[in-house]
Amino acid sequence: MEEYSITVRDLKIRYKSVQAYSIKKSLLRLKGVDTEAFEAVRGISFDVKQGEILGITGKNGSGKSTLLRALANIFSADEGSIDLHGHSVSLLAIGVGFKNEMTGRENIMLSGMLLGFSEKEVRERMDEIIDFAGLGKFIDMPVRTYSSGMYSKLAFSITAILETDIMLIDEVLSVGDEKFKKKSYAKMKSLISQRNRTVVIVSHNLKTLEELCDRVMWMHEGKIVKIGEPKEVLQEYREFMK
Amino acid sequence: MNRFIKDTKKYWKYTIYAAKSQLKTEVANSYLNWIWWILEPFCFMLIYAFVFGLMFHHKELYYNAYIFVGLAVWDFFNRCIKSSVRMVKRNKSIVSKVYLPKHTLIMSDMMVNGFKMLICFAIVVGMLVFFRVPVDAHILYVIPILITVVLFTFGCCCILLHLGVFIEDMSNVINIVLRLVFYLTGIFYNIRSFPEPYQSLILRGNPLALLITGLRDCVLYKSTPDMPWLGIWFLISLALSVFGIWNIYKNENTYVKVI
Repeated sequence: MEEYSITVRDLKIRYKSVQAYSIKKSLLRLKGVDTEAFEAVRGISFDVKQGEILGITGKNGSGKSTLLRALANIFSADEGSIDLHGHSVSLLAIGVGFKNEMTGRENIMLSGMLLGFSEKEVRERMDEIIDFAGLGKFIDMPVRTYSSGMYSKLAFSITAILETDIMLIDEVLSVGDEKFKKKSYAKMKSLISQRNRTVVIVSHNLKTLEELCDRVMWMHEGKIVKIGEPKEVLQEYREFMK
Repeated sequence: MNRFIKDTKKYWKYTIYAAKSQLKTEVANSYLNWIWWILEPFCFMLIYAFVFGLMFHHKELYYNAYIFVGLAVWDFFNRCIKSSVRMVKRNKSIVSKVYLPKHTLIMSDMMVNGFKMLICFAIVVGMLVFFRVPVDAHILYVIPILITVVLFTFGCCCILLHLGVFIEDMSNVINIVLRLVFYLTGIFYNIRSFPEPYQSLILRGNPLALLITGLRDCVLYKSTPDMPWLGIWFLISLALSVFGIWNIYKNENTYVKVI
C-alpha cells in the first residue's frame, strides 16, 4: 500500500461574518441582517502520496491560496478534514517575522525558529543559508540597509534550506537578479524533486507546472474541475482560458 | 491544557529570542540606548514627586520610592494591555504565513516589559539603600505578589487579544478604561486616605491597587499585605488565564480570516 502524505476530505472553507467590526457598527446592527457567507473552498477531496509533487492552478479567486493556507494549518476547516499524517509542513513564505533593525544573521535565527525549527537546527544550517544567500558582509548589517533584492534573497534562502516533510509553495518564487533567479530555480527544482518530500505548488506558470509536477489539479470557484496527468489537465485548462 | 504546555515549551526559545530582539530593536537607533529604560521611569517619578510631593504636600514616608514602586508595576501592566489589543494585527506578517500559538506573542511582549520592570525594581533597591529604608523578612512577600501581577496581566492580555481581533475600536475603549484604573490605583497617592467604604472597595475590587499597595507595604513599611485577598485575586487571575488560553485556542484559526 502506498503511503499518503496529505488526505483532504470534503474540505469547505468559508469567509463568513467573521469580520472585524466596530462597536458602533455592531450596536446599529443588533437587529441583525447580514451574515453572508462566502465559500472559498467548496467541498473538495483529494490525496497526495508521499514524495509526490502536486501542482494547483486555476484563475484568480478560485480558492487556491486559501486551500494552501488551510493545508499549512493557518486556517481551520469549516467542514471536512485535512490529515497530514503527522508530517511537518511549511508554507514557503518570504520574510516571515523579519525585524528591520536586526542583522541578517539574527533574522535567520528568528525566522527559522518561527518556522518551527529548534535553535540548534537553525544554527547548524546557518552557514549554508548565508552561503546560499551570497550577501557577503551585509549578512552582519541590519536588514533595513538591504536593497529589496537582497532582502528577498535572504528570505528565500532561509525557506529553501530549512526543509520540512511537506512543502507548500505559493507561486514559484523568482527573486533577485538574473543569476540568483537561475540559482534559486535550480535549488527549488532540486528541493522539489527530492524523493521523500511532498510538495504542493500553486502557480499560474503552466510551463513550470508541466516541468515539475507529477499531477496537476485545476480548481475553479472552489471546486476541483480536473485532477490528473499534467499534460492532459493543462491542455484542457489552456483551452478553457482562451 | 496539555497542548498549552507543549506549545509553550516548543516555542519558548522563540519567545525569548523574539523578546531579546525586540529590546535590541528598541535601543538600536537612539543615542542613549538602554539608559532610556532607567531614565524614563526616573523622570516620571521626579515629575510626580514634584507635582504631588512638593505642591500638594503628600506626606507618605519615602515618597519617591513609593511612587516608583507603583509606577514600575503600572507601566508593566499598562504596556502589556495596550499592546495586546493590537497584537494580532501588528504581527499580521507572521500570523498569516506560519502557524504560531498566539499566546507566544503575548509572552514575548510580557518579557520585554517585564525586563523593563525589573530594571525599575533594581532602581528601587538602590533607593532603599540610598534613603536607608529599613527592610526585614516581609520583603519576601514580593514574590507571591509579583507572580500574581504577571498572571493577572497574562489573563487580561489573552482575553483582550481575542477581543482586539474582532472589535476594531477596542483600543479606544481600553485607553479610557486604563486611565480610570490608573487613577483608582493610587500611583501617586495613598488609597488608604479615602473614606470607607470606598477605601476597602477599591483595595479589594481593583487588583492593581491591591497588588501595588501590598508591594509598598512589604517593601517600604515592613508590614504584611492583605493575604486573603491576594489569594483570591491569584485564583481569579488563574481562572482568567485558563479561560483566555482556552478561548484563544478555540478561535485562533479564524483570526487570520479577519485581519
